[in-house]
Amino acid sequence: MNTICLHVNGVSHRVAVEPRRLLADVLRQDLALSGVHIGCAHGACGCCTVQIDGAPQLSCLTFAVQCDGAEIETVEGLGGHDAGHPLQKAFMAEHALQCGYCTPGFLMALAPFVEQAIEQGRIPEADEIREAMSGNICRCTGYHGIVAAVRRAIHDGIQGDSP
Amino acid sequence: MRSAPFEYHRAESLDQAVDLLATLGEDARPLAGGYSLVPMMNLRLARPEHLVDINPLGLDHIVRDGAVVRLGGLVRHSRYAVDTTLRKTFPLFAEASSHIAHPVIRRRGTLGGSLAHADPTAELALLAVLYDGVIHVSSARGRRSIPAGEFFKSAFTTALQAGELVAELEVPVPATGSGHAFFEFSERKGDFAIIAVAALIRAAKGRIAEARIACAGALSAPIRDANVEVALVGQSLETPGALEAGHMFAAAHDPMSDIRATSHYRRHLIAELVRRAVEKACAGAGGAA
Amino acid sequence: MSRTLERPKSIGARVHRLEDPRFLSGRARYIDDIRRPRMLHLAIARSQEAHARIGEIDVESALALGDDIRVFTGADTVGLAVTANAEYPEVQFSQQPLLAQGRVRFVGEPVAAVLADDPYRAEDAAGLVFIDYENLTVLPGIAVARAEGAPTLFDGWRNNLFVERQMKGGDLAAARSAAVHTMRRTYRTHRQAGVPLECRGVVAEYDPADETLTVWSSTQIPHLLRTYISEELEWPETRLRVVAPDVGGGFGVKGQIFVEEILVAWLALQTGRAVKWIEDRREHLIASIHAREHEHTLEAYLDGDCRLLGLQADISVDCGAYSTWPFTAASDPGMVAKVLPGPYDFGAYEATFRGVATNKCPVGTYRGVGRPSAVFSQERLMDDIAAELGLDPVDFRLRNIIRRFPFKNVLGFTYDEGSYAESLEKTRAFLAPDIAEARRTRSSDEVRVGVGFACFIEQTAHGTPDFTRRRVPIETGYESARVEMMPDGSVLVEIGLQNHGQGHETTLAQVAADALGVTPQEVRVRHGDTLTTPYSVGTWGSRGGALGGGAVHRAATEVAGKLRAIAAHLLQAEGQEIVLGAGYAALAEDPDRHIEIAHLARAAHRNLERLPEGMGPGLAALAGCDGPADGTYSNAVHAAVVEIDMNSGKLTLRRFVVVEDCGVIINPMIVDGQVRGGVVQGIGSALFEQFVYSEDCQPLTTNFADYLLPAAPEIPDIEVHHIETPTPLTPLGAKGLGEGGAIGPAAAIANAVSNALGVSVAETPLNANAIWTLIQSATGRSETGE
Repeated sequence: MNTICLHVNGVSHRVAVEPRRLLADVLRQDLALSGVHIGCAHGACGCCTVQIDGAPQLSCLTFAVQCDGAEIETVEGLGGHDAGHPLQKAFMAEHALQCGYCTPGFLMALAPFVEQAIEQGRIPEADEIREAMSGNICRCTGYHGIVAAVRRAIHDGIQGDSP
Repeated sequence: MRSAPFEYHRAESLDQAVDLLATLGEDARPLAGGYSLVPMMNLRLARPEHLVDINPLGLDHIVRDGAVVRLGGLVRHSRYAVDTTLRKTFPLFAEASSHIAHPVIRRRGTLGGSLAHADPTAELALLAVLYDGVIHVSSARGRRSIPAGEFFKSAFTTALQAGELVAELEVPVPATGSGHAFFEFSERKGDFAIIAVAALIRAAKGRIAEARIACAGALSAPIRDANVEVALVGQSLETPGALEAGHMFAAAHDPMSDIRATSHYRRHLIAELVRRAVEKACAGAGGAA
Repeated sequence: MSRTLERPKSIGARVHRLEDPRFLSGRARYIDDIRRPRMLHLAIARSQEAHARIGEIDVESALALGDDIRVFTGADTVGLAVTANAEYPEVQFSQQPLLAQGRVRFVGEPVAAVLADDPYRAEDAAGLVFIDYENLTVLPGIAVARAEGAPTLFDGWRNNLFVERQMKGGDLAAARSAAVHTMRRTYRTHRQAGVPLECRGVVAEYDPADETLTVWSSTQIPHLLRTYISEELEWPETRLRVVAPDVGGGFGVKGQIFVEEILVAWLALQTGRAVKWIEDRREHLIASIHAREHEHTLEAYLDGDCRLLGLQADISVDCGAYSTWPFTAASDPGMVAKVLPGPYDFGAYEATFRGVATNKCPVGTYRGVGRPSAVFSQERLMDDIAAELGLDPVDFRLRNIIRRFPFKNVLGFTYDEGSYAESLEKTRAFLAPDIAEARRTRSSDEVRVGVGFACFIEQTAHGTPDFTRRRVPIETGYESARVEMMPDGSVLVEIGLQNHGQGHETTLAQVAADALGVTPQEVRVRHGDTLTTPYSVGTWGSRGGALGGGAVHRAATEVAGKLRAIAAHLLQAEGQEIVLGAGYAALAEDPDRHIEIAHLARAAHRNLERLPEGMGPGLAALAGCDGPADGTYSNAVHAAVVEIDMNSGKLTLRRFVVVEDCGVIINPMIVDGQVRGGVVQGIGSALFEQFVYSEDCQPLTTNFADYLLPAAPEIPDIEVHHIETPTPLTPLGAKGLGEGGAIGPAAAIANAVSNALGVSVAETPLNANAIWTLIQSATGRSETGE
């Protein structure tokens, strides 16, 4: 058993973990973060995407023990209880989710992409947006609403609007 | 679908890493990006008893050192698209790496990990073979160098011995004005290649002075073909005989069949991609005449 | 105050989904988020052989892992099974035991149940259960299973057919002899899995305090599951509660009852502890349900004017090792036989259909069920005939399409109003530039463009008579809803439909809101819990909007009637028309005389003295809605534009256009989402998703590196256009639409490929290797070189 410290959504936690426990499982079970989802456990669907030290990573391919001292953000930390992050609001406006299972993974993978595009002040082409989400599978929406939501969030961010 | 039990060790330096690997023995594996190893562990296809986490090692340099460029084993795939040194000398790294899986995976996967994993279709292994790279490996016994052509033995099997880590890939910088080309065919963007081909052409006075063609996906490791390369020397850049080169390369090997593609189809793709690669590399070398 | 009588209409509006915040913020509760005290975790040791007798099951090493480990085998579950049969003589009886009874019939079939205190240990222990197999002859496919003298999959069977039957109408012999043109073709669609992103899962717990067994399951059919468990485990339904939590995609895959669900319930009773089972991705791919492995031989007869006279069909489906509950192994083949006549007008038809037993994962209902394969054959045949007769494919369809409604088809099913011809014409107009480009690139050696159409209808919202006809374990088509207005004027809708992405919490709120004169935001929709919702057969068959909406509309209308009566009484305007809108009840003639709906609600619950004479308290109604006897028919046209690299075999899907008619639309945003989602699954079916077995039925595509799903870069913009032809057959005029998107793409894409290459595509998948092989035959090249 290894005792580690995880800083998750701004709160520090000490947890005792077996080395083989996935970060996804520790976040879900020990910290009751139900927003982390597991779709395949082999890195091919993107559902489990969280941010570790500022970068989107697959929590089903990360052992919790590797993250001692790391800053972790899950979808719960993105926009709080009412999903107030601009990308979340754009998802709602553009019907970018149906069953919701893939949604946290898309949000965590795309939020940095959106922020970067806003900083650069340009709206990426459709194929760039689709490439940015190429590691995330959605079975319900056909991706159309998600692409529209990304575009809307970037556009609104550049204009300085809140959606 | 979770891993079997193992013990976790964290190395803070290369010395510490190789010492740990030596001490822990054959059932210890280094853990870098983990995006190839951990899926196998979750599927219980790999059951190392010890993991040595080498992420703290740094080892992620990309530097020009005279006639070579040195890339550290922990260089992440997403670096190639933005590293100015590499883009100038080895444009194919950026291009080939854009075919590796997806952005989140590229941000984490490492050069050393990819080379050590030795998937037969891996893009970086293909480039190492194309550019006649040398792989420097470290262990508690010291350092040794393995030419890329001898490093990849067969599918998921390399010349690495127990306790050895890929510390660095050294690639000799191609002559200025060389033409480079990379083509990959896969079912979806980012999937494992069905066939990938890379070409490097050095020209002199409008003719091919040296040709290198490498292919991944045909056999269990990336291959070059000396006969094809020799046949191309002396051809004009305008009409290098790309079609013939493609057929020659394809005819010389018996590609594998799997659920993605039959041997026949692979053979056809080899011929087609070699043709395209030779044409493009020659066109890129044209300016050097 | 003088406000105009605003009645903002919610039906038809693009209302943002009321349920979205919990999904977006990670608060949604899926099956693996259900945690109970002292919960045990189940891992299942599954067969590694496709067909074998089981000898000894060695559990010693598993048990040695620890005191918390318990193992159960078939010896413990004798007699417990999932039995899916249809009640007619052409069906042979079979059932799937909860745990194998001495024999396994597909790789992945459950053999032993292993319990532990945590899921990692359960998996460790399951890996230490060693099973002795005595291999039996494997039936790897339809041909071998049907061959003379093949061993049967079940003792006592006369052959390897779950079912073989016929459907016919008109005089086919007459059509055949009158035919001027005849065309015979065989078409095949390949096997695939369904793959919702959330795998299956079940939690069960017996509470001794109220003697109730609660079962949570990621299911589309909670009430049916409750009844099945009650019957199988002999447990009273009043002491059984089934809850479908938030479900991460169903697509019909979770509209089956699985042995694992009954097993977990049984284990909870055996152990006295809560038990949880969460499927992993490998299990899902090999042992949930598969779909689409069909072979159809069609023969069409036409007159001298190229009009269809009749169609003969021979239909085989590789149904795998067991019949699935409730639709049975008759479902896919029977549905093909039923829908093959399609939107075309001809008077003679004969179909023989059969479900074949093989040593593969059982086939069940996955979005579209038998229809994607049926439409593939139907629409490929239409194109093949057109090509043979030198006709434009759209003109040929228009020559034969049904134009007058209601229309009784050759099997006696009545089609209600639709826009078949109109949608074809419209789609063709949208595709004009691509059709021109296809013509220009017809003989290119580099890149060819192809355009393909698929025109189809979809029977939805099936009513009770349709099920009675099938004689399968699902007997009814009705839906019911309870609507109650609270004392504060907010509204609770309770419906047995189970929402797994369709937006019912919004669409049904819109329906109730319109009837009651409130906003959708004031309506809460509860679903999925058998304790609080009326009996339902669940969500599938494109029935939610039409039937669920219909039931909610009726119940809400009843409550609205009571509100109006109270208002009239309180406004001293008995007998005058009252209108409900924007939170007020007002006199139609004089809107300045109005009263807040919340006021009426409070009175109804708490101030009985203010109610009209003889009126009882409360504001609730329960109403049902059965589907029309023959259902109601949506129609659509799908068109695909493909670009083929003639040198590599690469197919790029450039454009996909849908013109669809599902009657009155409750929420256009949600309809578009359903269509696009279905289309992308259809594209997956056509191009990427292939489940492969080896010759001895070992599964080869057991993870997402081998089983490929459509990802965003592979998908073009999907253009969706609507026509709204209301149906007189449902209360809101709505038809079903949930599956439609998935039905057409394989046909449209295959037709586009045929158009580009000038060869007839006869099977799927159209992956790169398949395209290259078609290119070879198109250009007359040999396999080995130029």
